[in-house]
Parts: sequence; structure tokens; C-alpha cells
Amino acid sequence: MHRTVPSLPLAPSVKVKLINAGFQVASDLIDMRPLQLCKEAGISQEEAVEVLQMLRDDGQPHQQRAATESLTALDLLHQEQALGSIVTFCSALDDALGGGVPVGKTTEICGSPGVGKTQLCMQLAVDVQIPVCFGGLGGKALYIDTEGSFLVQRVADMAEAAVQHCTLLAEDTGLIQLYPFEFIYETQNKILSNIFLVYLLPDFLSEHPEVRLVVIDSIAFPFRHDFEDLSQRTRLLNGLAQQLIQLATQHSVAVVLTNQMTTRVSNGQSKLVPALGESWGHAATQRLILHWEGLRRLASLYKSPSQMEATIQYQITVQGFRDAPDEPRPTPATSAVSSPSGNHSKHPRMEDRS
Amino acid sequence: MVILREGICPGINEEFIKALQSEDIKTVEDFVSCNPEELAQKCSLSYKALVAVRRVLLAQYTAFPVSGADLYEELLSSTAILSTGNPSLDKLLDSGLYTGEITELAGSPGSGKTQVCFSVAVNISHQLKQTVFYIDTKGGMCANRLLQMLQSKTPNMEEQMEALQKIKVLRVFDVFSLLACLQNLRSNGLQKASVGGGSVKALMVDSVSAVLSSMLGGKQNEGMSLLMQVAGELKMIARDFSIAVLVTNHVTKDGNGHLKAGLGQSWSHVPRTRVLLQRIEGAETSSLRTATLTKSSRQACHLVEGFDLCHWSEERRTSISGKRKLEERSKP
Repeated sequence: MHRTVPSLPLAPSVKVKLINAGFQVASDLIDMRPLQLCKEAGISQEEAVEVLQMLRDDGQPHQQRAATESLTALDLLHQEQALGSIVTFCSALDDALGGGVPVGKTTEICGSPGVGKTQLCMQLAVDVQIPVCFGGLGGKALYIDTEGSFLVQRVADMAEAAVQHCTLLAEDTGLIQLYPFEFIYETQNKILSNIFLVYLLPDFLSEHPEVRLVVIDSIAFPFRHDFEDLSQRTRLLNGLAQQLIQLATQHSVAVVLTNQMTTRVSNGQSKLVPALGESWGHAATQRLILHWEGLRRLASLYKSPSQMEATIQYQITVQGFRDAPDEPRPTPATSAVSSPSGNHSKHPRMEDRS
Repeated sequence: MVILREGICPGINEEFIKALQSEDIKTVEDFVSCNPEELAQKCSLSYKALVAVRRVLLAQYTAFPVSGADLYEELLSSTAILSTGNPSLDKLLDSGLYTGEITELAGSPGSGKTQVCFSVAVNISHQLKQTVFYIDTKGGMCANRLLQMLQSKTPNMEEQMEALQKIKVLRVFDVFSLLACLQNLRSNGLQKASVGGGSVKALMVDSVSAVLSSMLGGKQNEGMSLLMQVAGELKMIARDFSIAVLVTNHVTKDGNGHLKAGLGQSWSHVPRTRVLLQRIEGAETSSLRTATLTKSSRQACHLVEGFDLCHWSEERRTSISGKRKLEERSKP
């Protein structure tokens, strides 16, 4: 390989010593023995071994493949068609998303409290398990709950409704759930444990290849309070975003993240915008914003590489996330994102079960 | 600094190198800057051999100056201008993307950067029948959308498939893989792709800020170096292979709340042309966008064009936004 030494993933101090000793390209280093490298570059024995190990790993087939082999768009098309998407049981939303939540991409769901983000996530966790013969993916779901809003009873209700919908009895819901360690530790560790979790996910997913959905509900909660250094938060979030999209692509899973909303005040007007900052907006491949308009719940597709922007109405029923009932209504606002929605507190579930 | 090693030139063998090392000469630079007569006296090497090796090394490793006229001729013959497929954007970019240069698109989420990249890729692979390399760092590459765009250009299935085959996608998610990918392209990937008729005319990186922004800032000392390495690789690829490089970037807000492209001042010198894409607030159709030229060596800056994301063959001009942008920018 023709990699230059400064571009290798090594500690900066080691790289500086290697460059000063005159090594320019990776091929200069490959044939060296650790002791030799030690003497020539002036690095310690362990560092020399690490460097050579890294170079040998880099030459491994699967590492090389990612960086060097390209797919043609035609191959990619076949791959995408094979991967499919997860239905949401709300046909309007499925149409807007082009079939459902796509597998292999990250989707972000933003919304104010009580609008239905967790409901949608639970619905997706149920829907991913619909067997292939019914047009589903027949996969498993991994639900990472950071807010404590996951209710097993509710998921059981949704699963039952889905099962009835498919007229087939499923014996177990097959959900795997990880409670993060944050319930025990202090604030600092909450963030760390979430980041560690994302690094552990690749191994977990390799061991459980039937997982097709990873839900993180919510990604905003651990990062929003008590983070003094905002620029560090932005960097951590960007790194996390790249890890997640890598996960989604390499293991063919759909990654769904939920985000909260915050108020932005500009020119004396306030507007609800997704939390975690401007640069987090670039992190997810698709962004769905759920918001209220009076008593109606609307979902707007704000950002997508393949679908046009659309706003659709949905409702939460006993069975779960469903289409809104047809009623004569005015055309939905297309620039729905900029319209401020009222600050509704969480509606009691009783109201929606009608 | 290139180390002296066996085999970099005929006439250099183990004893030669050992003899030189005893005089503390390890690299080509040290060797070439020494006087061969003195060296012949100090080591037990023949003067003739030293001079011969010196000549070969100088020929191999020095840079040769080229006259301006030759450079101009070369530029005229090798530069091509690639249309983006959208007349308003072409007008903004002075008829399109120039090969041998880096062009940057910046914009907030959902402003249409990926869509413009798709449109350029489709235009080049279908209209110009050339190969395009697309490096995706965010998972935004959607072959379905490429197919949709092709279907609106031609109903012929075969042509669509052929065009899709000319777009090559590489997916990397961190900066080291990106560097590995670019270095590999430079050393053999691009030549391989040119074999068999089609030549590579464009390289897109969507986006370059996704991999670099987490490395910059704070107590990290490597970020700037990696940014410059990426910049260097892109420039070398653009120059050596006469390719148009298109990169996308995110935006941040500056002190006055105005949008500016991300990655800071150091990156701002890297692309030759920079375009800022924005949504139009309160437009009737949500797919209208404006493109503002923020840096260009050919046109006056702050030109604005409006365009519609839905149809790449249609263009819509908006006259209001131009004045608004100029007013904002004239504020100190």
C-alpha cells in the first residue's frame, strides 16, 4: 500500500519520531523488525510492536476492501433493494419515507415531549420482526433506552395488534434490551457509558446478525445537561454520528435516534428547533420532525437523500402508531418546520385512545 | 526526506549504505548535499561510483521547472469544464466544474448538497459518458435516487444501467480510511479505472466535514495535520489526473449570526470555488434553493442564483434574494 506515514492511525508523538527518522511511506516500515525500528526511530519497544501490528492489520483483506474497492451504483442499487425498509404501519408516513425506515441508514426523529417519538420507536421495534412472508424483515431489534420511557406493557399491546394484523401467532417478541449503566452512576459517567456502548455495538451486532434495528431513545438526553464544554460535546457527537453510520452500513441495520427540541430565539421570535446544535443536523441521513398543529399530530420529512419533503398526519391509538382518520382538512403546511408549535405538555394517553 | 536503501538506484548495495552510514549519511538529501571528493576520501568508495549514483538520484528526486508557456499549453489541452446539469448553477460556476480544481458546496442540513452531487454524477455519467468516483462518508448515497434522476433523463433501461455502472461508490467513515482511500486512488485506483475506454473525470467527497470536524479543536493536536493531508491528496488528485473534485461541507454561524462554511480559516484556502446553498424561507414550494458564490477566482463574488431541487432541467430565478444577500454582506 502506498500510505504515507502521517496518514496512519497512530499516536502523533510516534508519527513525529518516525518522520524524523526518515520514514515516508508505509512500505518503508513494513519490512522492519521491532528492535530495528526501536533503534532507528527512537520509540519504545511497545510502540514499535504496535506500529508493526497496525500495518499488518491494515493489509488484511476486509480493511483494504472498504478503502479500496468501490461498488458501482448498479451494485449499490441491488443491495438497497435487497435490504428493504421497516414499515411504520402508518401508510402515509411509509409513502413519504419511500417504503418505511430504510435499513443501512440512520434516521433521526425529533419532536417535543408527548408527540409520539417513543411510540414510533416501539412500533418500529415491533414491525422489524414481521416475518418475511408478510412482507417484513423478520429481524430483531435492539432498544437502548436512556430516558426510562420504554414500557414493556405498551410494546406487548402493540405487538398483539401487529400480530392480529398479520393473523398469525408469534410466541415471543424477541426484543433485546440493554439498560445503560447510568441509573447507578453519576452524570459524568452517563455520557461515557453511552459512548462505550456505541463502541461495543459492532461486536454485539456481529454476534447477533439477525438484529435489523437499533433504536437509541434518546440520544439527546445524556448530552444535554451538565456538559460544560460545548465544543467538546459537538466533537463527541460528530464522532458518535460517524460510528453509527458505519455500524448501519457494515452490519445492515437501521439506526433510529430520537432527539428533543429546544427553543431558538431570533429577532424577538421564538422557534422550536431540534436540540444538540447546528452541526448535529448533519449527522443523521434522514430527519423526521414530529410536531403538533392544534390537536393534530404531524410528521415532516425535513432531510432525506432520496425522498421529497412531505408532511403527513398520524395518530397514536391503542394499537400503536397509525394513520390519521380521513377527514376534510385544509392542505397541510409545507414549510411546517418554521411554524412554531405550542408548548404542549405531555398529553395523558387516555385522550388519544379514542 | 527519503532514506537511502538498497535498490532505490543501481549501484547502491549493502556495503555502500553501511559505508555512508558510518559517515552519518542516511537520506538522499544528506548524500546529495555532500561533496563527492571529500566523501570518496572519508569512505572507502570510488569517486566514480559516487558521482554516478549522485547523478541518478538527482535525476530521480529533483523537481524540474516548467516554463509558463508550456504550462499554459498543457492547461488548455487538459482542462475540461463539466456541466452540473442545471443552467443556473452552471452560470454561477462560470459554465460548470473545472477539472484540475476543487469546488466546495456548503449548506445547512437539507439544503441540497447531496442532491447537487447526485445531479452532477448523473450528468457526467450519462451525458458525458465518463466515470465518476463518489466517496460517501455519511451514508447519504442512495442509488435509488440516482436511478430516479436517470429515469427522468432517458426511458431507455440499458442507458440507465450503463450510466449507473459508471458511478463508482466508496464508503469510508473516518479520516484515516478517507486518507487511505485517496492515497490508493492516487497510486493505482484511478489508472485502473481509466483502463478500458472510460476516463475518470470527477471525484466527489460527501462530506469532508463529517470526518474532519470531530478531529479539530480542543486539546487534539492532530486535526490540522489531517485536514492538510486531505487537502493535499485532493489537490494532487485533481492536478495529476485532470479531475474535477467536488466536496461538501457543513455550515456554522459566525459572530453576527450569519452562515459560513465550516472547518475554519485553514480549509477556506483549499477549494478554488465555494458555493453556499440555502433554503428560501417562506417559499411556496419547499424545494427551491438559492446558491451564493462565496469564493471564486473567475467571477465576482456574491452572485446568487435560485434553483429548484425537483427538476434538474428547469431553473427558477429569484430576484429578491440577490439584493438581500448583498445587503447582509456589506455590513462590516
